[in-house]
Amino acid sequence: MDEKKKLIKIANGVQDALARLQEKRWLELLSCLSSLTNVFQEMASQARKLGISLTHCWLAAAQGSSTSINRSLDDLQYWMQRAKQLIEAPNAELAKPSFLVEELEQLQQEFESIDFDKAENTISVITEPITLEEVYLGPFKIQLKIDKLGDLYTNCPYHCIALDPHPAATSEDVTHPHVSNDRLCEGEGNSAIRAALEQGRLCDFFTIVRSILNTYSPDSPYVRLDEWDGTACYDCGRVVDNENSYYCSFCDQTFCEECSTCCRSCNETVCNSCSQLCAYCEESVCPNCIKECPECKRLYCSSCLEEDLCPNCKEELENENGEHPSQNARTDKDRIPRQPETTQPEIQHSS
Amino acid sequence: MKILFIDNDGGGFADYVESVQGTTVEKFFNEKMPGRKPEDYLIRVNRQPVPKDYVLHDGDRITITPVKIEGAKS
Repeated sequence: MDEKKKLIKIANGVQDALARLQEKRWLELLSCLSSLTNVFQEMASQARKLGISLTHCWLAAAQGSSTSINRSLDDLQYWMQRAKQLIEAPNAELAKPSFLVEELEQLQQEFESIDFDKAENTISVITEPITLEEVYLGPFKIQLKIDKLGDLYTNCPYHCIALDPHPAATSEDVTHPHVSNDRLCEGEGNSAIRAALEQGRLCDFFTIVRSILNTYSPDSPYVRLDEWDGTACYDCGRVVDNENSYYCSFCDQTFCEECSTCCRSCNETVCNSCSQLCAYCEESVCPNCIKECPECKRLYCSSCLEEDLCPNCKEELENENGEHPSQNARTDKDRIPRQPETTQPEIQHSS
Repeated sequence: MKILFIDNDGGGFADYVESVQGTTVEKFFNEKMPGRKPEDYLIRVNRQPVPKDYVLHDGDRITITPVKIEGAKS
């Protein structure tokens, strides 16, 4: 008996919310018609300006007016469609408390777990654990906020909360291919959900939402299921499996193959951002294996430095000390680094 | 006889439809959802699950809800 009283109380609350929703529908229609009137006025104003522009052969001004008119035509189409939706929506009778009690009782039969939160004024059900395309997503709580039912035309009155979240690798907020920040993107279920809520068919509402959660639409997910697991490259964001991800110990991030490289000197994995190019051999090296030549101040890999000097500076120094260039093993071609001449430091030759 | 048919596939409309006496749930489904498979839908009559040979009665309320509905992202 207590259970029945509880359901009647909840049903009364839902009915009040549905009554507010019916009123909101007409208020929303009024707002639409007001917007339509504004668009008409704007078009009339632009039409007058277009006429004046044409009288004076002001073609640039005429172009400006036609652009504004085009924008108004788009707005007109939107507001007309919205107004028609509101007018043509079925005029459902306000659901009676007895009907709503039956809905709540059916809800208890259809779902194993159902919760009425008095403080939050919510009705919640919990789905079975959901697995789509072999990706485990866990059970979801579908939580309908009764207080928000009246805002159905402007705000979503329910949430889909992952109870054992297994979010996409690329976003913690995406707990299901069609759920982001606990909001379900209803897709093909949109009209059916709206109709069910407007008519107080609470059980239908929850079963429709469950059906969407149990379905994967590969054409329009927030994150594709074949990219669900793995690691997102810190640089380009591409999701790669663990075998094809590379950890850069210099920035503590993981990267894909394209965004990382291998140090030429020590073979350590390094991301493209942390790696540096040797000014002589132009190979990528990690920060540990790159050093500055004290003479020219350019960066070189440890393999190209000899006695801490780059090949060029070393040769110049040897020349200054009286050694003949021909004594060096390298030819001119070998020792000229492949670097822009404009950045090459000038070396003063002593006569 | 009149049956209250709630179709949650698509628009989610609810309306009374005419049906001949002796119509079973299976026949009703095939008439209203041609080309569809009953196993893809949750079918309830007067809020209860029923066998496919259940004979509908005047004033019955039948609800048909797809078990798979494609969501989207925006």
